[in-house]
This record gives sequence, structure tokens and C-alpha cells, in this order.
Amino acid sequence: MAKQIPVPELVVPADEYDSGGNPFDLSGRHALVTGATRPIARAIATALAEAGANVSVTTIRDDSSEAAEANSILEACTALGRSGTTRQLDLTDPVAVEAAVAAIESEVAPIDILVHAVHEANIKPVLDSSLDDWHRELNRNATSLFVTTQAVGRRMVERHYGRITTLTSVLHDRGAPHAALFGASQGAVLGYTKSLGLEWGRNGVTVNSITLGFFDDVPGLHNDEEVHAILERYIPLRRLGKPEDVQGAVVYLSSELAAFVNSETVLIDGAIAAHA
Amino acid sequence: MILDKFDLTGKTALVTGAGTGLGRAMALAMADAGADIYGAARRMEPLEETKRLVEAKGRRMEIGSTDVTVTEAVNAMVEDAIAKFGRVDILVNNAGITDRGRGKTFPELDDEDWRVGIDVNLSSAFYCSRAIMEHFLEHGGGRIINVASGWGMRAGRNNFMYSIAKGGVIQLTKGLAMTYARDNIRSTCIAPGSLPKEIELNQREQNNAFQPAGRVGWPREMGPLAVFLASEASDYMSGETVLLDGGSIAGGLLPAGYAPEFEG
Repeated sequence: MAKQIPVPELVVPADEYDSGGNPFDLSGRHALVTGATRPIARAIATALAEAGANVSVTTIRDDSSEAAEANSILEACTALGRSGTTRQLDLTDPVAVEAAVAAIESEVAPIDILVHAVHEANIKPVLDSSLDDWHRELNRNATSLFVTTQAVGRRMVERHYGRITTLTSVLHDRGAPHAALFGASQGAVLGYTKSLGLEWGRNGVTVNSITLGFFDDVPGLHNDEEVHAILERYIPLRRLGKPEDVQGAVVYLSSELAAFVNSETVLIDGAIAAHA
Repeated sequence: MILDKFDLTGKTALVTGAGTGLGRAMALAMADAGADIYGAARRMEPLEETKRLVEAKGRRMEIGSTDVTVTEAVNAMVEDAIAKFGRVDILVNNAGITDRGRGKTFPELDDEDWRVGIDVNLSSAFYCSRAIMEHFLEHGGGRIINVASGWGMRAGRNNFMYSIAKGGVIQLTKGLAMTYARDNIRSTCIAPGSLPKEIELNQREQNNAFQPAGRVGWPREMGPLAVFLASEASDYMSGETVLLDGGSIAGGLLPAGYAPEFEG
């Protein structure tokens, strides 16, 4: 049964109008980027580091080639003078994730910012898809989010501070042929994100999603050459997204003063959803 | 570097309704990010206070009394801003009213209630955007940030002009995004929830209980989002509305304050 969560103590800012200084500076924060295996995760991790945060990273699977990529992303962050660590693990394994989160916190610092950067798509007709395909898609994109946010969020809720950002596709509520399994996983991620923000919001933990349109360097339908060419003309801003296009939103949502943005999606899509 | 992309140094922002509340907060945050400000509102006195606060940050601010529901006045405002600063890079359509027709039932709303409610909250954004567009096109681009409301997405009993106008603002944002996508003009929208200004703390505490976040917002929380949307850091966004509402739309299905039990 639902219970009422107490209203937090009223904190009055020094000035109710003035946000003061540089609200995007994340110095002193520790960010964890889970699923740091792709260019978009690299863009996210380096943006957080450039904004001043210490950054740690993990793989999606317990896989050494993923670990090499995660290490390379960590190196890009530490090259900016930040500290952080990396872990090779399976994000759908609650025991491994709990152990990794505990170790990362003790090695670096408590985690203030979590970006779950897992964003992969299996584009396949439903009639050709097996039940295993379905489970793999849901496990990689949605189960990994549940497991990760539970381990990290439990600590954030206790400490009354956290900024969690998930990635979703515009396919969370739109459709495309051969994207049914992927779309289902994105609907799962977004529904989870919105309820989780409400569950933890009064504990100072916000949970939001960045919703991507069609991006280069992200697996999906648009990697088909013909589809890519059509999209370049159809997307109002006349190009597909680049990994660095998510950096501003990640830094903003990870900042302290984004406290009142919660259970929300920030759409970064070159305006395609405005006319699609 | 990402922090440089949030920088507004050398930019000028025209903010309507800049005298109080969210308009003042956005003006101050954009000034912090390096922008100069042209502020418009009906009343000069609050504008003068915003100007003092912006100037205290070392930025320049010019102000003008404007009725944003009158095309001639809006055109004159835009001309004045361009004359004073040479160019305008960012337009924030923030002016609005919530109280027109309040307390009346649907049949009691008269034509004047409808016209004023729609004019101040919706037509003003259309007039201002139209007035600035030629200038934006001449100068190779610009940013429009509209201010809607959660009421632009949901309905309430006897709430007509406000929710319909704000819904219109969300659609105006998309229309401008589509129309000028190839001209380096971005159009985005912020939909604030409850961010009251200058209310008594006990009133604030009472209101807090009705919010999913457990609190209403402070105007200062609007500023960084406006800076983000005005800056290069949001270059691949257009047509989009971002909610700043402490989860009020997402959490609207349950009475505020209730959530499943959890340990921790």
C-alpha cells in the first residue's frame, strides 16, 4: 500500500531569484557512467569531467573488449585531471553491480551523479525474432537500469542527494518497422524513469531521461545507408545527431540547480518529433 | 570544452515580463552567463530593480515599458532593443497572466476575459517572435525561448484561457522550430510548474505538501534552464518543451505525497 513520504525540511536560498555564479560547474561531484562502451557514453563521461566532476565508468557486459573501451573513456577523463575508476561487469547481475558500486564508492567517493548510458538496439523483424532476442533487448536496456539504479540509488536516497539520467529513444512512444523489441525496451526505460523520479524526488534524488532522435554512432535503423540519406533531409535541422549533442543536457541535468526538473525527458532530436 | 558552450558572453537577450518572477530570474542567470539584457514589462518600477541587479553583475541592461498584446508596441520594443544593443540574439517570451477570469464558471467567462487571457499568454509570444524574425534572419540566426506551463499539457475545471493559451505556446514553439530550422534559429519552450515568487514562508510550506517534489520551486531554478536553452549547449534541440515542475505532470495520477513504501 502506498504511504505518504514526508515533505522535506524547507530550505530557503539566500536569494530567491538569483542562481548565482556558474550553475553548470560540477567540481567536487563524483559521476558514474554505466555502460561506457560507445561514442555517446564517451561524450557523456568527458562532458562531466570537463564540467569538473570526477568520473568512474563501467561496461555493460562482463566482456574484455568492452573493458578496453571503458578504460579508454576513463583515460580521457583522467587526462583532464579528474580521478575515477573503471569496472568490467555484467550490469544485469545484482551481486556484481552491488559489489562494484560499493568498491567504486570506497575507492573514489560517494556517487552524486549516475548516467546510465546503455543505449543499444537490435533492429529485427518481429517474425524473425526469438524469445531470447526479446529477453536480451529488455535485459540489456531495461533490466540493467533497474539493477544499477537500485544499487546506486539506495545510497543516494540515504544521502538525500542524487542526479540520475537515463537514455531513451524517440521510439519509446513512436513506432518504426523492425524496432518493436527496441521500442518496448525504451518504453520500459521511460516508464521506470518517471516513476522512480517520483519515488525518490522527496529524498533529493532526481531521475530524468534524455530522449534521443537519430544519432550517428548509435546503433539503430538509421545505420542503413538509404534510411540515413532520407533522414538527413527529413530531420528539420538537416543532420543526424552527434554524440557531443547530448553533452549540454547531461551537464545541466546533473547540476545541483536542476533540482526541480524531475521525472522528465529532455528531447534532443534535431526537431524531428516536432513534425513527425 | 562543455562549460564554454553555456557561455553567453557577447549575446543580448530580450526578455518580456522581466520585472518580476521567472523573467527576473532568467535575466539574472543569463547575465551571469555573460549576456546583456533588454527587459520589457508594463510596469517600470520592477524592471528598474531587475536592471539594478543585472548591472550589479557587471552586465548592461536596458528597459522599456511595453504592452505585449499590441503589435505596434511590440514592434517598437524590438526596434528599441536593436537600436540600443545593435543586435538581439535571444528572445524570451515570458510575459503572461494567470488570473484572468479566475473564479468564473465557463458560461460566465465573457469575450473580454477570453481575448485578454489569450492575448497576454499566447498572442504576445506570436507578436514578439514575428517582430524579431527579420532581425534574426539578417544576422544569421537566433534563439527563441517560450514560457508555457504544465497547464499547457493538462486541463483543470474552469481553467480555459490559461491552459488553452499555454497549449498554444507549446505548438507555437514547434511551428517556429519547423519554419526556421534551416536558418539557424532554434525555438524551445520551458513549461514551469509551481515556482511562486515572494510568498510568505508558511504559505510556501502549505503549498509544499501538494507537490510531488515535496516543495514548490524557487524562481532561481528557472535561470540555468533558460541559459542552457539559450546557449550552444542545446544546439541540436528545437521544437522541444522541457518541464521544470518537480515531477508534477509525471506524478499527476496520484495525489501528491504518496509513493510505494521502500526501505532506506
